[in-house]
Amino acid sequence: MSDGMRSRSSLDAQHSPPQPSRAAAGSLYEPTPSTTTTITTRRAAAGTPASGTSPTTSGGLSASPPVAISIPSIGVHSALIRLGLNPDGSAEVPASFHVAGWYERSVSPGHIGPAIILGHVDSKSGPGIFYRLGALHPGDRVAVTRADGITATFRITAVRSYSKQRFPTIDVYGNTPAPTIRLITCGGAFDQATGHYLANVIAFGQLAASP
Amino acid sequence: MKLKTLSFALAATGAMSLGAVALTGAPALAATQSYQATLAPLNHATASGTLMLTLNGDQATVTEHVTGLAASFNNAPYPHVQHIHINGQGACPTTAADVNKDGVINTTEGQPAYGPIGATLSTTGPTTPAAAAVLTVAPSGPSIDYTRTITLDASTISAIQANKAVIVVHGLDPATLSTQAQGEKSDLVPSLPLAATSPALCGVLAVSQMSTVPTGAAGTGAGGTSGLQDAGLFVIGGSLLAAGVVLFGARRHATTRS
Repeated sequence: MSDGMRSRSSLDAQHSPPQPSRAAAGSLYEPTPSTTTTITTRRAAAGTPASGTSPTTSGGLSASPPVAISIPSIGVHSALIRLGLNPDGSAEVPASFHVAGWYERSVSPGHIGPAIILGHVDSKSGPGIFYRLGALHPGDRVAVTRADGITATFRITAVRSYSKQRFPTIDVYGNTPAPTIRLITCGGAFDQATGHYLANVIAFGQLAASP
Repeated sequence: MKLKTLSFALAATGAMSLGAVALTGAPALAATQSYQATLAPLNHATASGTLMLTLNGDQATVTEHVTGLAASFNNAPYPHVQHIHINGQGACPTTAADVNKDGVINTTEGQPAYGPIGATLSTTGPTTPAAAAVLTVAPSGPSIDYTRTITLDASTISAIQANKAVIVVHGLDPATLSTQAQGEKSDLVPSLPLAATSPALCGVLAVSQMSTVPTGAAGTGAGGTSGLQDAGLFVIGGSLLAAGVVLFGARRHATTRS
């Protein structure tokens, strides 16, 4: 693999991960008649496995951790590992650049609230699992398979890039009145000094239909 | 050996019941739970903001972003005292709370809605109600970027868990007040004008749907494709990506290859 990666430096056109277009900015949440009447803000036991008897919350699925994600429009098919918190309070990112992960203190995908999925845009040597996240468009589909066998399908509503200095915590991690998903990777300019990208590219989606 | 088994069982029970504890609002000292508030303007202020609070035992980590507040007061950055109010109606006041009809809901008039002060969100030093009006440790200027971990007392913790906690940020631009209100003194600190201590922003703390809201951005890139020298990289990258995808089940394999 490293041979293939090295050969790139001998090629001549500039290329960076795709960034979201202005047209993809979309809306962070699109109310639908079935979900605007009652807003449930109570948290169910996020991160705990479904007991099999847990009731389905109105407008969303019960808790069950996700095991795989598929985003056909950008060629992503990945198992999902579980991610916790770093000591500094930020979300962990996968150790592997080729697998995405579910932040286990967010809700289960399909449950009311934001489910957080993180993946690398690249490693030091090549593209990561979410390399093309910025090329997503509103309307694209994201399928998340859960441990209970249910596949929750989300429709992308917005793809945006945010400076890490001005990370919109509430927009990304805040409560939502329906089941939503936030796919997070890095983007923007790369700071060679710190070894970090200066922005996060985030794709926002909401549950397409009740199963 | 028996003891060990028992403690394992207890640990498992504890983990399984965390969600239930959080739902009933009982003290869940071992659990971490985040709360959020969207701060909306009161009294014709034009500011807005958000606040996240993550409670871990009696430690609350508060992250707050506000813009649009009154910028200066007596030619100095305007101090904006801010508090967690507790055990009122768990609500922000409406204009109906303006009892004396001077066009300003002052801090006292707002109290039936948001209750008395449980903690002061000061920049340094004490965070008790006693520090409520200490202007020197209040965030100041038109914007607030506030992050601090503070110790909360039991009544404030209980109020947060019972949805009876409200964030209030004070300090209005006097020019936005009615002529009557501009001439009034503060209901809290009579040496100050009414504008200085009246509420500018208010938001009810609501339990977050996710148990712990992460702080800030995510480090999801290492730069290997930043400014790469190849249009064809996409093709190479794409096929590598595909290879990674095919191999995702064998994480060890993918890791050693990268």
